[in-house]
Amino acid sequence: MPAMPCPIHRNPITAVESPAVGVTIEGLSKNFGSLQALKNVSFAVEPGEIFVLMGPSGSGKSVLLKHIVGLETASNGRVLIDGHDAAAEGTLEHVRIALVFQAGALFNSLSVYDNLALYPREHRLGTESEIREKVVRALQILSLETTANKFPSELSGGMKKRVAIARALVMEPQLMLYDEPTSELDPVMSATISEIIATLKDEYHVTTIVVSHDRELALGIADRIGILMGGELVFLGPPSELKESKDSRIADFFHPKIDLKNPRFKTLET
Amino acid sequence: MNTAQQTARVGLFFLLGLALTWVTWETLSDGKLFKQTGYTLIAGFENLKELKQGDEVRMAGVKIGSIEKTRLAGRRAEAVLRIDPGVKIASDATATIVMAGLIGTNYVGLDLGTPGAPSLVDGAELRTKITPDINTIMAEIGNLGQKLEGALNSITSSVSGDGKSPGLFQKIDLLVTQNSEKIGTTMSNLQDITTKLKDGEGTLGKLINDPKLHDELLATVAEIKSAAADAKVFVTDTQGIIAQVKAGKGTLGALLYDEESAASIKVTVKNLRDVSDKIARGEGTLGKLLNDDSLYLGVQSTLKKADRAIDGLGDSGPITAVGVAASVLF
Amino acid sequence: MKQLTNILEGFGSAVQLLVQSCRYAGTLPRQRARFIEQCYLIGYTTLPIVAILCFFMGSVLALQAGYSMENFGAKQFIGSLVGLSFARELGPVIVAILLAGRVGSAITAELASMKVYQEVDALVTMNIPPARMLVLPRLAAVLVMMPVLAIIGNLIGWFGGAVVSKYVQSIAIEPEAYFAALRRYMKFKDVGTGLMKAEIFGFVVVLICCSIGLSTRGGPREIGASVTRAVVASLISILVLDYFVTKALM
Repeated sequence: MPAMPCPIHRNPITAVESPAVGVTIEGLSKNFGSLQALKNVSFAVEPGEIFVLMGPSGSGKSVLLKHIVGLETASNGRVLIDGHDAAAEGTLEHVRIALVFQAGALFNSLSVYDNLALYPREHRLGTESEIREKVVRALQILSLETTANKFPSELSGGMKKRVAIARALVMEPQLMLYDEPTSELDPVMSATISEIIATLKDEYHVTTIVVSHDRELALGIADRIGILMGGELVFLGPPSELKESKDSRIADFFHPKIDLKNPRFKTLET
Repeated sequence: MNTAQQTARVGLFFLLGLALTWVTWETLSDGKLFKQTGYTLIAGFENLKELKQGDEVRMAGVKIGSIEKTRLAGRRAEAVLRIDPGVKIASDATATIVMAGLIGTNYVGLDLGTPGAPSLVDGAELRTKITPDINTIMAEIGNLGQKLEGALNSITSSVSGDGKSPGLFQKIDLLVTQNSEKIGTTMSNLQDITTKLKDGEGTLGKLINDPKLHDELLATVAEIKSAAADAKVFVTDTQGIIAQVKAGKGTLGALLYDEESAASIKVTVKNLRDVSDKIARGEGTLGKLLNDDSLYLGVQSTLKKADRAIDGLGDSGPITAVGVAASVLF
Repeated sequence: MKQLTNILEGFGSAVQLLVQSCRYAGTLPRQRARFIEQCYLIGYTTLPIVAILCFFMGSVLALQAGYSMENFGAKQFIGSLVGLSFARELGPVIVAILLAGRVGSAITAELASMKVYQEVDALVTMNIPPARMLVLPRLAAVLVMMPVLAIIGNLIGWFGGAVVSKYVQSIAIEPEAYFAALRRYMKFKDVGTGLMKAEIFGFVVVLICCSIGLSTRGGPREIGASVTRAVVASLISILVLDYFVTKALM
C-alpha cells in the first residue's frame, strides 16, 4: 500500500485529532567505554509514518531507540522529538511516547488490567470509570478482553506482546516505539502483530518507529527503512529502493546465502 | 487477600504499636502527666547525693510517693517530693536521704513524727537531717585505717626498737646472751637432780621410786593413829598418877618434889643434850643412823618390826603398846 | 581504589534517590494503597520473626547476665541490664538486622528484577519516576512501621528475660522483682532513644536496598548479586551508624 505521510494524528482511544509528531536525530554518537555503539547517525522520521530500523544484532538499533525515549544520554549529538530534546527532563511531559519492549516489560506484580490502568491512574487522567473505559477499549482493539484479570506470568509470549501494545495504546501515544515486536513469535503471531502496527498507523496516524530484523515485517509495513550496521546508518529509504540497492552488505543481510563450502564461522580445523 | 483486609491489619498493627508505646511510657515515667495526684513537699538538703528524679519517698519503709524533681535553690539543694493523696505527714517528721544499696540507689525516708502533730499541707517544707553517705563512711574508714597504722607502728618500734633505744626483744636477747653460762649450769644441775631422783638415788629418790615403801608408810600411819587413840586413854590415867605424884605421894612424888632429885634430873638433861649433840655430829650409833645412807635399811627393818609389834598389840594392853612403840622409835 | 569509588557511587546514588523521593512526598496520599501494602509487608509480616528472635535474645541475655552477675551478687539487677540493653541497643539493632534480612533483601530482589526485566525502564518511559512509585511508599512505610516493630521487640525481649529469670534455677528471680529492677534504672528516654535508632536504621536499610536494587545492571544473575550486596551494605551501615547515632543521642 502506498505510504502517504499524514500530518494529522487521531488518538486511538479518544479519537481526538492533533498534529502528529516527528523525530529528528542529529549526529548521534554513543560510546560505551571504548566501544562505539553509534557513530554520527542522522535521520528524520516524518510525522505519521512507520519507520523501520533494521540491522544485525549488536548494530546499535536498541541503543538508538533508548536515546529516543530518553533512557540513554548521547555522547554526542541529540534527538529532537517534536522540537524537544529527548534527553531533557520535561520532554515526556510534552510528548507522550510509548515504548513496547522486546520482552513486554509488563509489571509482573500487577494484573493485565492494572498494567494497562497504571499510566492513566498515575497521571490522574480521569476518574476510575473513565480509566476503565480506556482500558477496556484498548483491550478490545487487541482482542484481549479475556485476559484482563490474568497476571503476566500466566500469558504466552505473543499475548504478552499484545498486552504491552495495549498498555502503550492506553497511554494515547503520539509516538509509538517497538523493540523487536515479532521476535520469538511464530509466523502467524508475527503477522498479527504486523497487522496491529499497520492498523494503528493507518487508523490513528501514530508516528511509529519499529526496531526489527524481521524482513517480512519491514517490507510489509514500513514507509521507510533505515539500516544500521556497526553503529553506522548504511541505508535510508523506502522498501522499494532497498530491493535496488547494490550494497553487498545489505544484500547479504537480506538474502544470506547458505554456503557450506565456505562457512562464515571458523571451523576447528582452520 | 483483599485490600480492605490488609488495610485493617496494618491499622490494627499500628494501633497496637501506639498502645504499647503508651503503656511503656506510662510505666517508665510513672504516668506523671496523666496522674498528677497527691501533693508536693519540699525537702532542702546540703547535698542531694545520688538522689534523682523518680526515686521513691518512703515513710517508715512504706512507699508513699516519689521525687518529682531536684533543683538548686540558692545555697542548698531541694528535692520536690510528690506524696500520694491520703498520706498525712506530721509537721515534725524528719526527712533523710537513705542509701538502699552500695551502688547509688537512694530514697528519701521520712519518720512518723509525733502522734497528734498537725499534718503538712501542699508546698510545705520538711525538716531534714544529714546522714552520712557512702563517701563519708568511706572517708571515715580511711581515717581509721591511718590511726590503726600509727598504733601498729608504735607497737612495732617498742618491741623491736626504733633505732635510738633498744626494744623489748633486744633487751631480752641481751639478758639471755650475757647469762647463758649461768643458766646453762643451773639447767644441767636441775637435770642432774631430776635424773638422780628418777633413778631412785638418795633417800628422797628411793622414797619417791619405791612403791612398796609408800604403801607400808601409809599402813604405819594408820596404825599410829589407832595407837594414838589408845594413848589418850593412857594419858588420862597418867594424869591421875601425876596428881598423886604432885601431892608427893608415893615414890615418884617424893622423887620429883625433892630438891636433890631435881638436881640430879638437871644433870640427866644435860647429859641428854650432850648425847643429841653427838648424834647431830654423826657420832655414836644414833648419829650414824641419822646421817648415813643406811638409815633407809634401818627404817625398813624398824617398820617391819613395828608391823609385827602392832600385830601383837591386839592382846597386850595399851601400856605395852606405848612401850613397844617407844622402844622401837628410840 | 575501584572499591572506594563503588562505595562512594553507591552512597551518592542513595542520597540522590532520597532527594528524589522527598520531592515526591506530596504524592503520598494518592499512593495510599501502595503505602498500606508496604506497611503490611514491612511491619505485619515481619512481626513473627521479630517476636521469636527478640524473645530468645532477651532470654539469653538474662541467662548470661545471671551466670556472670552471680559471681558478685548482682543478680537482682538482671532486670535493669536486660531492660536497658534491649531498649537502648539490642532491640533496635536486632529489628533493623531482621528488616535488612527479610524486607531489605525482598525489596532489592523485587526492584532488581524489575530493573533487569525492563519494568523500571517502562516506568521511565511512562513518565512515572521509580523514586515516586517504588521508593517513596517503602520509605514512608518503614518510618511508620519501624517504631511499632521496635517497641514490640523491646517488650517481648523484656518478657523473654523475665521468663528465664523466673524459671532458670540458678537465677530464680520473680517477675515482680525483675520488672521492678527494670523500671528502677530506666526512663522512657531510653526506650525513646531506642525507637529513634530503630527509625534511623530502618530508613537507611530500606533506602540502601532500594538504591542497590534500582542500580542493578545486566542479567538475572545480577539480581542475586545485588541482594547480597544490599544486605551486606545494610548490615555494615546499621552497625557503623549505631555507634554514631548512639553517641549523638546520648
